[in-house]
Amino acid sequence: MKGAFRWTFLLVLAAFFVIPMLAMARFAFQSVPVVLLTPETLLTGWSIQPILTIFSTPQALSAARVSVLLALFTISLNLVLLIPLAIVTEVKAPRMRPLLTALTLLPWVVPPIALVVGVAATFRTGAPWFLASVYSLVPFYALWAMPFTYRALDAGLQATGAKTLYEAARSMGASLPVIIFRVLLPNMTASIIAAAALTSAMVLGEFAFASLLLKETLPTFMVNFQRSDARAGLALALFVLVVTAISIGLVVRVLRKRGLNVQTTGI
Amino acid sequence: MIRVGADTRLSLMVAIPFFIFIGLFLIYPTVAIMTSALTPGDTFSLNGLQRALSGTYRQGFINSIALASTSALLGGILGMTLAVVLRSLERPRWLHSTLDSWSAVASQLGGVPLAFAFIAAIGTQGILTKLFSQLGVNINDFGISPTGFWGLVVVYLYFQIPLMFLVSLPAINGLRATWREAAAIMGASASRYWFRVGIPLLTPAALGGMLLLFVNSFAAYATAYVLNPGGALVPLQIRFLLQGNVISGEEDLGYAIVTWVIGLLLLSLFFLTFLQRRTLRWAQS
Repeated sequence: MKGAFRWTFLLVLAAFFVIPMLAMARFAFQSVPVVLLTPETLLTGWSIQPILTIFSTPQALSAARVSVLLALFTISLNLVLLIPLAIVTEVKAPRMRPLLTALTLLPWVVPPIALVVGVAATFRTGAPWFLASVYSLVPFYALWAMPFTYRALDAGLQATGAKTLYEAARSMGASLPVIIFRVLLPNMTASIIAAAALTSAMVLGEFAFASLLLKETLPTFMVNFQRSDARAGLALALFVLVVTAISIGLVVRVLRKRGLNVQTTGI
Repeated sequence: MIRVGADTRLSLMVAIPFFIFIGLFLIYPTVAIMTSALTPGDTFSLNGLQRALSGTYRQGFINSIALASTSALLGGILGMTLAVVLRSLERPRWLHSTLDSWSAVASQLGGVPLAFAFIAAIGTQGILTKLFSQLGVNINDFGISPTGFWGLVVVYLYFQIPLMFLVSLPAINGLRATWREAAAIMGASASRYWFRVGIPLLTPAALGGMLLLFVNSFAAYATAYVLNPGGALVPLQIRFLLQGNVISGEEDLGYAIVTWVIGLLLLSLFFLTFLQRRTLRWAQS
Protein backbone atom coordinates (compact mmCIF):
# COMPACT_ATOMS: atom_id res chain seq x y z
CA MET A 1 0.00 0.00 0.00
CA LYS A 2 1.20 3.48 -0.81
CA GLY A 3 2.44 5.67 2.02
CA ALA A 4 0.12 8.57 1.24
CA PHE A 5 -2.95 6.37 1.39
CA ARG A 6 -1.89 4.84 4.69
CA TRP A 7 -1.34 8.16 6.41
CA THR A 8 -4.55 9.70 5.04
CA PHE A 9 -6.47 6.68 6.32
CA LEU A 10 -4.88 6.96 9.76
CA LEU A 11 -5.49 10.71 9.95
CA VAL A 12 -9.15 10.44 8.93
CA LEU A 13 -9.73 7.74 11.54
CA ALA A 14 -7.90 9.77 14.18
CA ALA A 15 -10.15 12.75 13.41
CA PHE A 16 -13.22 10.50 13.66
CA PHE A 17 -12.16 9.31 17.10
CA VAL A 18 -10.97 12.64 18.50
CA ILE A 19 -13.54 15.17 17.22
CA PRO A 20 -16.61 13.86 19.12
CA MET A 21 -14.62 13.88 22.37
CA LEU A 22 -13.39 17.43 21.77
CA ALA A 23 -16.92 18.50 20.85
CA MET A 24 -18.23 17.07 24.11
CA ALA A 25 -15.46 18.73 26.11
CA ARG A 26 -16.25 22.06 24.45
CA PHE A 27 -19.96 21.86 25.28
CA ALA A 28 -19.13 20.86 28.84
CA PHE A 29 -16.52 23.49 29.60
CA GLN A 30 -17.16 26.42 27.26
CA SER A 31 -20.28 28.55 27.65
CA VAL A 32 -20.26 30.09 24.17
CA PRO A 33 -23.23 29.13 21.94
CA VAL A 34 -22.20 27.34 18.76
CA VAL A 35 -23.70 30.16 16.62
CA LEU A 36 -21.27 32.64 18.13
CA LEU A 37 -18.31 30.35 17.78
CA THR A 38 -15.66 32.04 15.62
CA PRO A 39 -11.87 31.88 15.66
CA GLU A 40 -11.93 34.94 17.95
CA THR A 41 -14.30 33.48 20.54
CA LEU A 42 -12.71 30.04 20.47
CA LEU A 43 -10.65 30.68 23.57
CA THR A 44 -13.24 32.59 25.60
CA GLY A 45 -15.77 31.41 28.12
CA TRP A 46 -13.97 28.28 29.31
CA SER A 47 -14.45 27.23 32.92
CA ILE A 48 -14.30 24.14 35.08
CA GLN A 49 -17.51 25.16 36.86
CA PRO A 50 -19.47 22.09 35.55
CA ILE A 51 -17.04 19.73 37.31
CA LEU A 52 -17.58 21.66 40.55
CA THR A 53 -21.35 21.43 39.99
CA ILE A 54 -21.10 17.64 39.87
CA PHE A 55 -19.22 17.49 43.14
CA SER A 56 -21.76 19.73 44.83
CA THR A 57 -24.74 17.67 43.64
CA PRO A 58 -25.57 15.12 46.34
CA GLN A 59 -27.44 12.79 43.94
CA ALA A 60 -24.42 12.66 41.66
CA LEU A 61 -22.20 11.62 44.52
CA SER A 62 -24.64 9.01 45.77
CA ALA A 63 -25.10 7.60 42.24
CA ALA A 64 -21.32 7.42 41.90
CA ARG A 65 -21.09 5.68 45.26
CA VAL A 66 -23.71 3.14 44.21
CA SER A 67 -21.85 2.40 40.97
CA VAL A 68 -18.50 2.01 42.73
CA LEU A 69 -20.03 -0.37 45.29
CA LEU A 70 -21.78 -2.29 42.51
CA ALA A 71 -18.43 -2.71 40.78
CA LEU A 72 -16.73 -3.89 43.99
CA PHE A 73 -19.48 -6.40 44.81
CA THR A 74 -19.55 -7.68 41.24
CA ILE A 75 -15.79 -8.18 41.20
CA SER A 76 -15.84 -9.96 44.59
CA LEU A 77 -18.71 -12.23 43.62
CA ASN A 78 -17.05 -13.22 40.36
CA LEU A 79 -13.69 -13.87 42.01
CA VAL A 80 -15.29 -16.00 44.74
CA LEU A 81 -17.19 -18.04 42.15
CA LEU A 82 -14.52 -18.30 39.49
CA ILE A 83 -11.11 -18.50 41.21
CA PRO A 84 -11.76 -21.94 42.80
CA LEU A 85 -13.37 -23.12 39.59
CA ALA A 86 -10.49 -21.93 37.41
CA ILE A 87 -7.90 -23.50 39.74
CA VAL A 88 -9.67 -26.86 39.97
CA THR A 89 -10.22 -26.92 36.21
CA GLU A 90 -6.57 -26.21 35.51
CA VAL A 91 -5.06 -28.46 38.17
CA LYS A 92 -7.50 -31.33 38.66
CA ALA A 93 -10.26 -31.50 36.10
CA PRO A 94 -9.26 -30.20 32.65
CA ARG A 95 -12.32 -32.05 31.32
CA MET A 96 -14.48 -29.19 32.62
CA ARG A 97 -12.72 -26.62 30.45
CA PRO A 98 -14.80 -26.85 27.23
CA LEU A 99 -17.99 -26.72 29.27
CA LEU A 100 -16.83 -23.61 31.10
CA THR A 101 -15.72 -21.91 27.91
CA ALA A 102 -19.15 -22.54 26.42
CA LEU A 103 -20.93 -21.33 29.55
CA THR A 104 -18.98 -18.11 29.67
CA LEU A 105 -20.18 -17.41 26.12
CA LEU A 106 -23.80 -17.52 27.27
CA PRO A 107 -23.97 -13.88 28.39
CA TRP A 108 -23.31 -12.87 24.76
CA VAL A 109 -26.43 -14.79 23.75
CA VAL A 110 -28.58 -13.25 26.48
CA PRO A 111 -27.71 -9.53 26.48
CA PRO A 112 -29.05 -7.13 29.16
CA ILE A 113 -32.01 -6.01 27.08
CA ALA A 114 -33.16 -9.65 26.75
CA LEU A 115 -32.43 -10.80 30.30
CA VAL A 116 -34.19 -7.82 31.84
CA VAL A 117 -37.48 -9.07 30.36
CA GLY A 118 -36.92 -12.50 31.89
CA VAL A 119 -35.98 -11.04 35.25
CA ALA A 120 -39.05 -8.82 35.24
CA ALA A 121 -41.21 -11.82 34.39
CA THR A 122 -39.77 -14.09 37.07
CA PHE A 123 -38.22 -12.21 39.98
CA ARG A 124 -40.56 -9.23 39.89
CA THR A 125 -43.61 -11.43 40.36
CA GLY A 126 -42.06 -14.35 42.24
CA ALA A 127 -39.64 -12.58 44.56
CA PRO A 128 -40.24 -8.81 44.45
CA TRP A 129 -38.21 -8.35 47.66
CA PHE A 130 -35.14 -9.45 45.75
CA LEU A 131 -35.32 -6.58 43.26
CA ALA A 132 -36.05 -3.95 45.91
CA SER A 133 -32.42 -3.01 46.47
CA VAL A 134 -30.18 -1.48 43.83
CA TYR A 135 -27.61 -4.13 44.74
CA SER A 136 -29.83 -6.81 43.25
CA LEU A 137 -28.08 -5.81 40.01
CA VAL A 138 -24.87 -7.47 41.28
CA PRO A 139 -25.56 -11.10 40.24
CA PHE A 140 -26.60 -10.00 36.75
CA TYR A 141 -23.58 -7.74 36.29
CA ALA A 142 -21.47 -10.67 37.48
CA LEU A 143 -22.96 -12.77 34.66
CA TRP A 144 -21.89 -10.31 31.96
CA ALA A 145 -18.44 -9.90 33.49
CA MET A 146 -17.91 -13.67 33.65
CA PRO A 147 -16.54 -14.26 30.15
CA PHE A 148 -13.58 -11.93 30.51
CA THR A 149 -13.05 -12.67 34.21
CA TYR A 150 -12.81 -16.42 33.58
CA ARG A 151 -10.59 -15.94 30.55
CA ALA A 152 -8.24 -13.63 32.46
CA LEU A 153 -7.95 -16.06 35.39
CA ASP A 154 -7.48 -19.03 33.08
CA ALA A 155 -4.78 -17.23 31.06
CA GLY A 156 -2.98 -16.32 34.29
CA LEU A 157 -3.01 -19.91 35.54
CA GLN A 158 -1.78 -21.31 32.25
CA ALA A 159 0.96 -18.70 31.90
CA THR A 160 2.41 -19.49 35.33
CA GLY A 161 2.21 -23.26 34.90
CA ALA A 162 -0.21 -23.68 37.79
CA LYS A 163 -0.32 -27.46 37.51
CA THR A 164 3.45 -27.78 38.01
CA LEU A 165 3.42 -25.27 40.86
CA TYR A 166 0.60 -27.20 42.51
CA GLU A 167 2.41 -30.53 42.23
CA ALA A 168 5.70 -29.06 43.45
CA ALA A 169 4.02 -27.50 46.50
CA ARG A 170 2.07 -30.69 47.15
CA SER A 171 5.16 -32.90 47.06
CA MET A 172 6.82 -30.63 49.59
CA GLY A 173 3.88 -31.22 51.88
CA ALA A 174 1.95 -27.95 51.56
CA SER A 175 -1.72 -28.09 52.51
CA LEU A 176 -4.41 -26.97 50.08
CA PRO A 177 -5.03 -23.53 51.69
CA VAL A 178 -1.27 -22.87 51.70
CA ILE A 179 -1.04 -23.78 48.02
CA ILE A 180 -3.96 -21.55 47.11
CA PHE A 181 -3.03 -18.51 49.20
CA ARG A 182 0.78 -18.67 49.16
CA VAL A 183 1.47 -20.18 45.75
CA LEU A 184 -1.36 -19.79 43.24
CA LEU A 185 -3.08 -16.52 44.20
CA PRO A 186 0.11 -14.40 44.26
CA ASN A 187 0.72 -15.59 40.70
CA MET A 188 -2.74 -14.46 39.63
CA THR A 189 -2.50 -10.80 40.66
CA ALA A 190 -2.16 -9.54 37.09
CA SER A 191 -5.22 -11.52 36.00
CA ILE A 192 -7.22 -10.30 38.96
CA ILE A 193 -6.30 -6.66 38.31
CA ALA A 194 -7.21 -7.04 34.64
CA ALA A 195 -10.55 -8.67 35.43
CA ALA A 196 -11.32 -6.04 38.08
CA ALA A 197 -10.60 -3.11 35.78
CA LEU A 198 -12.65 -4.53 32.90
CA THR A 199 -15.52 -5.30 35.27
CA SER A 200 -15.43 -1.75 36.67
CA ALA A 201 -15.56 -0.33 33.16
CA MET A 202 -18.55 -2.53 32.33
CA VAL A 203 -20.42 -1.65 35.54
CA LEU A 204 -19.74 2.09 35.13
CA GLY A 205 -21.22 1.92 31.62
CA GLU A 206 -24.14 -0.48 31.96
CA PHE A 207 -27.37 1.38 31.25
CA ALA A 208 -30.08 -0.89 29.81
CA PHE A 209 -30.54 -3.25 32.74
CA ALA A 210 -30.40 -0.62 35.48
CA SER A 211 -32.62 1.79 33.60
CA LEU A 212 -35.35 -0.76 32.84
CA LEU A 213 -35.38 -2.01 36.44
CA LEU A 214 -35.64 1.66 37.52
CA LYS A 215 -32.40 1.65 39.54
CA GLU A 216 -30.34 4.79 39.95
CA THR A 217 -26.74 4.08 39.02
CA LEU A 218 -24.22 6.48 37.54
CA PRO A 219 -25.26 5.93 33.88
CA THR A 220 -29.00 6.21 34.55
CA PHE A 221 -28.45 9.27 36.74
CA MET A 222 -26.33 10.80 33.98
CA VAL A 223 -29.18 10.77 31.47
CA ASN A 224 -31.58 12.58 33.82
CA PHE A 225 -28.88 14.94 35.05
CA GLN A 226 -28.01 15.95 31.50
CA ARG A 227 -31.65 16.91 30.88
CA SER A 228 -31.68 19.29 33.86
CA ASP A 229 -28.12 20.63 33.58
CA ALA A 230 -26.77 19.98 30.09
CA ARG A 231 -23.21 21.16 30.71
CA ALA A 232 -22.67 19.40 34.03
CA GLY A 233 -24.21 16.26 32.51
CA LEU A 234 -21.67 16.32 29.69
CA ALA A 235 -18.85 16.98 32.14
CA LEU A 236 -19.94 13.97 34.17
CA ALA A 237 -20.05 11.80 31.03
CA LEU A 238 -16.57 12.97 30.09
CA PHE A 239 -15.34 12.25 33.61
CA VAL A 240 -16.70 8.68 33.46
CA LEU A 241 -15.13 8.24 30.02
CA VAL A 242 -11.74 9.30 31.32
CA VAL A 243 -11.99 6.97 34.33
CA THR A 244 -12.98 4.09 32.04
CA ALA A 245 -10.19 4.87 29.61
CA ILE A 246 -7.62 4.96 32.40
CA SER A 247 -8.76 1.66 33.92
CA ILE A 248 -8.74 -0.16 30.57
CA GLY A 249 -5.45 1.45 29.61
CA LEU A 250 -4.04 0.11 32.88
CA VAL A 251 -5.26 -3.37 32.00
CA VAL A 252 -3.52 -3.31 28.63
CA ARG A 253 -0.30 -2.22 30.31
CA VAL A 254 -0.46 -4.88 33.02
CA LEU A 255 -1.30 -7.59 30.52
CA ARG A 256 1.43 -6.63 28.12
CA LYS A 257 4.02 -6.40 30.88
CA ARG A 258 3.16 -9.92 32.06
CA GLY A 259 2.87 -11.23 28.51
CA LEU A 260 -0.63 -12.54 29.23
CA ASN A 261 -2.74 -13.43 26.26
CA VAL A 262 -6.06 -11.96 27.36
CA GLN A 263 -8.50 -10.36 24.97
CA THR A 264 -10.17 -7.30 26.44
CA THR A 265 -13.04 -8.07 24.08
CA GLY A 266 -14.06 -11.06 26.21
CA ILE A 267 -14.38 -13.50 23.34
CA MET B 1 -23.08 -46.36 47.79
CA ILE B 2 -21.02 -45.02 44.94
CA ARG B 3 -17.54 -44.10 46.09
CA VAL B 4 -16.53 -40.71 44.85
CA GLY B 5 -12.86 -39.83 44.54
CA ALA B 6 -11.43 -36.80 46.36
CA ASP B 7 -10.78 -35.01 43.07
CA THR B 8 -14.34 -35.45 41.86
CA ARG B 9 -15.66 -34.28 45.21
CA LEU B 10 -13.50 -31.18 45.00
CA SER B 11 -14.61 -30.43 41.45
CA LEU B 12 -18.24 -30.79 42.44
CA MET B 13 -17.73 -28.57 45.47
CA VAL B 14 -16.53 -25.65 43.37
CA ALA B 15 -18.72 -26.35 40.33
CA ILE B 16 -22.06 -26.64 42.12
CA PRO B 17 -22.27 -23.02 43.41
CA PHE B 18 -21.30 -21.81 39.93
CA PHE B 19 -23.99 -23.89 38.23
CA ILE B 20 -26.62 -22.87 40.78
CA PHE B 21 -25.70 -19.25 40.13
CA ILE B 22 -25.92 -19.59 36.33
CA GLY B 23 -29.11 -21.61 36.64
CA LEU B 24 -30.88 -19.14 38.91
CA PHE B 25 -29.90 -15.83 37.32
CA LEU B 26 -29.42 -16.73 33.65
CA ILE B 27 -31.10 -20.01 32.71
CA TYR B 28 -34.25 -19.71 34.84
CA PRO B 29 -35.32 -16.23 33.59
CA THR B 30 -34.38 -17.12 30.00
CA VAL B 31 -36.26 -20.42 29.96
CA ALA B 32 -39.22 -18.75 31.66
CA ILE B 33 -39.62 -16.20 28.84
CA MET B 34 -39.16 -18.80 26.14
CA THR B 35 -41.81 -21.02 27.70
CA SER B 36 -44.22 -18.11 28.03
CA ALA B 37 -43.53 -17.13 24.43
CA LEU B 38 -44.47 -20.61 23.24
CA THR B 39 -47.52 -20.94 25.47
CA PRO B 40 -49.51 -17.69 25.28
CA GLY B 41 -52.73 -18.21 27.23
CA ASP B 42 -51.32 -21.41 28.76
CA THR B 43 -51.66 -23.52 25.63
CA PHE B 44 -48.95 -24.25 23.12
CA SER B 45 -49.14 -22.00 20.07
CA LEU B 46 -46.84 -20.25 17.65
CA ASN B 47 -49.19 -17.26 17.38
CA GLY B 48 -47.07 -15.13 19.71
CA LEU B 49 -43.87 -15.80 17.80
CA GLN B 50 -45.70 -15.00 14.57
CA ARG B 51 -47.13 -11.73 15.91
CA ALA B 52 -43.68 -10.69 17.12
CA LEU B 53 -42.62 -10.64 13.48
CA SER B 54 -45.54 -8.66 12.11
CA GLY B 55 -46.39 -4.98 11.74
CA THR B 56 -44.21 -2.50 13.61
CA TYR B 57 -42.26 -5.30 15.26
CA ARG B 58 -41.34 -6.75 11.88
CA GLN B 59 -40.10 -3.26 10.93
CA GLY B 60 -38.13 -3.19 14.19
CA PHE B 61 -36.34 -6.40 13.31
CA ILE B 62 -35.66 -5.18 9.76
CA ASN B 63 -34.23 -1.87 11.06
CA SER B 64 -32.14 -3.51 13.77
CA ILE B 65 -30.73 -6.14 11.42
CA ALA B 66 -29.98 -3.46 8.81
CA LEU B 67 -28.26 -1.25 11.40
CA ALA B 68 -26.27 -4.11 12.91
CA SER B 69 -25.22 -5.52 9.51
CA THR B 70 -24.27 -2.14 8.04
CA SER B 71 -22.21 -1.15 11.05
CA ALA B 72 -20.66 -4.64 11.17
CA LEU B 73 -19.75 -4.56 7.46
CA LEU B 74 -18.32 -1.03 7.48
CA GLY B 75 -16.70 -1.47 10.89
CA GLY B 76 -15.29 -4.78 9.74
CA ILE B 77 -13.74 -3.39 6.57
CA LEU B 78 -12.35 -0.27 8.27
CA GLY B 79 -11.10 -2.12 11.35
CA MET B 80 -9.35 -4.76 9.31
CA THR B 81 -7.83 -2.16 6.98
CA LEU B 82 -6.53 -0.42 10.08
CA ALA B 83 -4.86 -3.65 11.22
CA VAL B 84 -3.30 -4.19 7.76
CA VAL B 85 -2.08 -0.58 7.55
CA LEU B 86 -0.57 -0.78 11.01
CA ARG B 87 1.25 -4.01 10.23
CA SER B 88 2.78 -2.51 7.11
CA LEU B 89 4.12 0.45 9.12
CA GLU B 90 7.25 -0.47 11.06
CA ARG B 91 7.63 3.03 12.36
CA PRO B 92 6.72 5.01 14.38
CA ARG B 93 6.82 2.42 17.12
CA TRP B 94 4.64 4.38 19.53
CA LEU B 95 1.80 4.13 17.01
CA HIS B 96 1.48 0.38 17.62
CA SER B 97 1.15 0.53 21.39
CA THR B 98 -1.05 3.64 21.26
CA LEU B 99 -3.50 2.10 18.79
CA ASP B 100 -3.54 -1.15 20.74
CA SER B 101 -4.44 0.54 24.03
CA TRP B 102 -6.82 3.00 22.41
CA SER B 103 -8.72 0.21 20.66
CA ALA B 104 -9.08 -1.69 23.92
CA VAL B 105 -10.59 1.46 25.41
CA ALA B 106 -12.78 2.53 22.49
CA SER B 107 -14.19 -0.95 21.87
CA GLN B 108 -15.64 -0.81 25.40
CA LEU B 109 -17.09 2.69 25.05
CA GLY B 110 -20.57 3.07 23.77
CA GLY B 111 -23.42 3.71 26.07
CA VAL B 112 -24.52 7.07 27.37
CA PRO B 113 -21.27 9.11 27.18
CA LEU B 114 -20.69 8.15 23.54
CA ALA B 115 -24.20 9.26 22.61
CA PHE B 116 -23.56 12.62 24.31
CA ALA B 117 -20.30 13.04 22.42
CA PHE B 118 -21.98 12.54 19.06
CA ILE B 119 -24.86 14.87 19.93
CA ALA B 120 -22.16 17.49 20.59
CA ALA B 121 -20.52 16.72 17.24
CA ILE B 122 -23.32 16.01 14.75
CA GLY B 123 -26.50 17.02 16.62
CA THR B 124 -28.55 20.01 15.45
CA GLN B 125 -26.32 22.30 17.56
CA GLY B 126 -23.28 20.13 16.90
CA ILE B 127 -19.89 21.55 16.05
CA LEU B 128 -19.51 19.61 12.81
CA THR B 129 -23.08 20.40 11.77
CA LYS B 130 -22.34 24.13 12.14
CA LEU B 131 -18.92 23.88 10.55
CA PHE B 132 -20.29 22.14 7.47
CA SER B 133 -23.28 24.45 7.24
CA GLN B 134 -20.90 27.41 7.07
CA LEU B 135 -19.26 25.64 4.14
CA GLY B 136 -22.73 25.39 2.63
CA VAL B 137 -23.24 21.67 3.27
CA ASN B 138 -26.11 20.39 5.38
CA ILE B 139 -24.96 17.01 6.71
CA ASN B 140 -28.53 16.16 7.69
CA ASP B 141 -29.29 15.95 3.97
CA PHE B 142 -27.06 12.88 3.90
CA GLY B 143 -29.01 11.33 6.74
CA ILE B 144 -26.18 12.11 9.16
CA SER B 145 -27.96 13.24 12.29
CA PRO B 146 -27.87 11.35 15.59
CA THR B 147 -31.45 10.18 15.10
CA GLY B 148 -31.17 8.96 11.50
CA PHE B 149 -30.06 5.54 10.27
CA TRP B 150 -26.65 6.69 8.96
CA GLY B 151 -26.11 8.79 12.06
CA LEU B 152 -26.52 5.68 14.22
CA VAL B 153 -24.20 3.75 11.92
CA VAL B 154 -21.56 6.46 12.35
CA VAL B 155 -21.97 6.42 16.14
CA TYR B 156 -21.77 2.60 16.29
CA LEU B 157 -18.62 2.66 14.14
CA TYR B 158 -16.92 4.39 17.05
CA PHE B 159 -16.80 1.10 18.96
CA GLN B 160 -17.10 -1.31 16.01
CA ILE B 161 -13.87 -0.26 14.24
CA PRO B 162 -11.63 -0.71 17.32
CA LEU B 163 -13.34 -4.00 18.18
CA MET B 164 -12.68 -5.34 14.67
CA PHE B 165 -9.12 -4.09 14.86
CA LEU B 166 -8.58 -6.05 18.08
CA VAL B 167 -10.18 -9.29 16.93
CA SER B 168 -8.55 -9.31 13.49
CA LEU B 169 -5.05 -8.40 14.69
CA PRO B 170 -4.02 -12.03 15.51
CA ALA B 171 -5.07 -13.19 12.04
CA ILE B 172 -3.27 -10.31 10.30
CA ASN B 173 -0.12 -10.89 12.34
CA GLY B 174 -0.44 -14.59 11.48
CA LEU B 175 0.16 -13.82 7.79
CA ARG B 176 3.77 -14.92 7.37
CA ALA B 177 6.16 -12.59 5.62
CA THR B 178 7.56 -15.72 3.92
CA TRP B 179 4.26 -16.31 2.10
CA ARG B 180 4.44 -12.88 0.60
CA GLU B 181 8.09 -13.37 -0.34
CA ALA B 182 7.30 -16.77 -1.86
CA ALA B 183 4.56 -15.20 -3.96
CA ALA B 184 6.88 -12.38 -5.03
CA ILE B 185 9.65 -14.79 -6.03
CA MET B 186 7.19 -16.67 -8.22
CA GLY B 187 6.39 -13.38 -9.93
CA ALA B 188 3.10 -12.41 -8.24
CA SER B 189 2.34 -8.71 -7.97
CA ALA B 190 1.22 -7.25 -4.65
CA SER B 191 -2.42 -7.16 -5.75
CA ARG B 192 -2.21 -10.73 -7.00
CA TYR B 193 -0.77 -11.79 -3.63
CA TRP B 194 -3.68 -10.14 -1.83
CA PHE B 195 -6.39 -11.56 -4.08
CA ARG B 196 -5.04 -15.11 -4.28
CA VAL B 197 -3.40 -15.55 -0.86
CA GLY B 198 -4.08 -12.78 1.66
CA ILE B 199 -7.82 -12.26 1.26
CA PRO B 200 -8.76 -15.98 1.03
CA LEU B 201 -6.72 -16.67 4.17
CA LEU B 202 -8.26 -13.77 6.06
CA THR B 203 -11.86 -14.44 4.99
CA PRO B 204 -12.85 -16.70 7.93
CA ALA B 205 -11.31 -14.25 10.40
CA ALA B 206 -13.04 -11.32 8.69
CA LEU B 207 -16.44 -13.02 8.64
CA GLY B 208 -16.05 -14.14 12.25
CA GLY B 209 -15.09 -10.63 13.32
CA MET B 210 -18.04 -9.10 11.50
CA LEU B 211 -20.43 -11.58 13.13
CA LEU B 212 -19.08 -10.51 16.49
CA LEU B 213 -19.69 -6.87 15.54
CA PHE B 214 -23.22 -7.83 14.48
CA VAL B 215 -23.94 -9.46 17.85
CA ASN B 216 -22.29 -6.54 19.61
CA SER B 217 -24.47 -3.90 17.96
CA PHE B 218 -27.77 -5.75 17.55
CA ALA B 219 -28.54 -5.69 21.25
CA ALA B 220 -26.94 -2.29 21.98
CA TYR B 221 -29.46 -0.25 23.91
CA ALA B 222 -28.02 2.76 25.73
CA THR B 223 -26.66 4.67 22.73
CA ALA B 224 -29.81 4.16 20.67
CA TYR B 225 -32.03 5.08 23.62
CA VAL B 226 -30.26 8.37 24.36
CA LEU B 227 -30.14 9.40 20.69
CA ASN B 228 -33.70 8.49 19.76
CA PRO B 229 -35.87 6.78 22.42
CA GLY B 230 -38.80 6.39 20.03
CA GLY B 231 -36.82 4.74 17.24
CA ALA B 232 -38.13 1.55 15.65
CA LEU B 233 -35.33 -0.73 16.80
CA VAL B 234 -35.85 -4.05 18.58
CA PRO B 235 -34.14 -3.06 21.88
CA LEU B 236 -36.23 0.13 22.07
CA GLN B 237 -39.44 -1.78 21.30
CA ILE B 238 -38.60 -4.23 24.08
CA ARG B 239 -38.37 -1.28 26.46
CA PHE B 240 -41.71 0.01 25.25
CA LEU B 241 -43.39 -3.33 25.93
CA LEU B 242 -41.61 -3.85 29.24
CA GLN B 243 -42.67 -0.51 30.65
CA GLY B 244 -46.26 -1.56 30.29
CA ASN B 245 -47.18 0.77 27.45
CA VAL B 246 -49.46 -1.94 26.10
CA ILE B 247 -52.91 -3.35 26.59
CA SER B 248 -52.84 -5.99 29.33
CA GLY B 249 -52.23 -9.50 28.07
CA GLU B 250 -49.64 -8.23 25.64
CA GLU B 251 -46.70 -9.23 27.82
CA ASP B 252 -46.38 -12.40 25.80
CA LEU B 253 -45.48 -10.29 22.79
CA GLY B 254 -42.40 -9.00 24.62
CA TYR B 255 -41.43 -12.58 25.51
CA ALA B 256 -41.81 -13.63 21.89
CA ILE B 257 -39.61 -10.77 20.65
CA VAL B 258 -36.92 -11.65 23.20
CA THR B 259 -37.13 -15.30 22.13
CA TRP B 260 -36.40 -14.26 18.54
CA VAL B 261 -33.52 -12.05 19.67
CA ILE B 262 -31.93 -14.89 21.65
CA GLY B 263 -32.43 -17.27 18.73
CA LEU B 264 -30.75 -14.84 16.34
CA LEU B 265 -27.79 -14.21 18.66
CA LEU B 266 -27.42 -17.93 19.37
CA LEU B 267 -27.27 -18.69 15.66
CA SER B 268 -24.69 -15.92 15.08
CA LEU B 269 -22.51 -17.17 17.92
CA PHE B 270 -22.74 -20.72 16.63
CA PHE B 271 -21.35 -19.61 13.24
CA LEU B 272 -18.86 -17.38 15.01
CA THR B 273 -17.27 -20.23 16.96
CA PHE B 274 -17.23 -22.33 13.78
CA LEU B 275 -15.37 -19.57 11.90
CA GLN B 276 -13.03 -18.99 14.84
CA ARG B 277 -12.00 -22.62 14.74
CA ARG B 278 -11.21 -22.34 11.03
CA THR B 279 -9.15 -19.21 11.71
CA LEU B 280 -7.21 -20.67 14.62
CA ARG B 281 -6.18 -23.72 12.61
CA TRP B 282 -3.61 -21.76 10.63
CA ALA B 283 -3.12 -18.71 12.87
CA GLN B 284 -1.59 -20.88 15.60
CA SER B 285 0.40 -23.27 13.42
